[in-house]
Amino acid sequence: DISALSGDAGVANISVDAAIGGSTYQHSRVNQWSSSVVENCLGQLTKLGKPFKYIVTCIIMQKNGAGLQTATSCFWDNTTDGSCTVRWENKSMYCIVSVFGLAI
Amino acid sequence: MPGFDPALELQRGSSISTVSYIDEPGQHDENPRPAVQMENTYQLGPVKRFPVLTVNNILKDVLTSYLQEEKYEAELCRQMTKTISEVIKARVKELMIPRYKLIVLIGIGQLSEQNNLRIASRCLWDPSSDTFASYAFKNSSLFAVANVYAVYFE
Repeated sequence: DISALSGDAGVANISVDAAIGGSTYQHSRVNQWSSSVVENCLGQLTKLGKPFKYIVTCIIMQKNGAGLQTATSCFWDNTTDGSCTVRWENKSMYCIVSVFGLAI
Repeated sequence: MPGFDPALELQRGSSISTVSYIDEPGQHDENPRPAVQMENTYQLGPVKRFPVLTVNNILKDVLTSYLQEEKYEAELCRQMTKTISEVIKARVKELMIPRYKLIVLIGIGQLSEQNNLRIASRCLWDPSSDTFASYAFKNSSLFAVANVYAVYFE
């Protein structure tokens, strides 16, 4: 099974925009934002109706000069599974969304 | 895939997003293997479950041994995240849990007085057979988060 991962990147983009599009970083709302980004994303992915198990991860970080490095390493079937990472930012924060799709 | 642009940039108003990385399936093999026909195993669920506590301990071990004395530096931590994720993957593979696919996610960040970040994840899978293990580590100048997701392959 081939998945259109560039389509998934589009999905991830849209979900992030919908959830936190015009907002400024607020510590009290981060919980709610990250949950809604992830839930939106997962909801959109399931609507695509493909035979995949999905893992969606979201990291939201305030822009204040601190650095962050992330890496992922996967043990799966190269021919059927894939991943996609989207980095979204606005003036006050960064949001990194990773989507992993594993074929059933 | 034809027409695929890995640097997709969207500008909407005041926010920018970039696709950092796409890993398309089926593009790694120079000599593609013939498609494997799987026979029925008549197995309804995993024979051996994923040992979450053991993996939590592995994560704790690896993170503390690699990062106990380190200070956050961009280049060093970039290499460190890659190394640590490979090490963790190798150690979990050693446990030889059959039929489980693994995803290891590592984040290393700098600690500053006002640093605020939140990491969340949601999964669409089968909760009776798939699970995850996670550990967070902190020292005086950096923090590290490790997540291992294990998905059963039917």
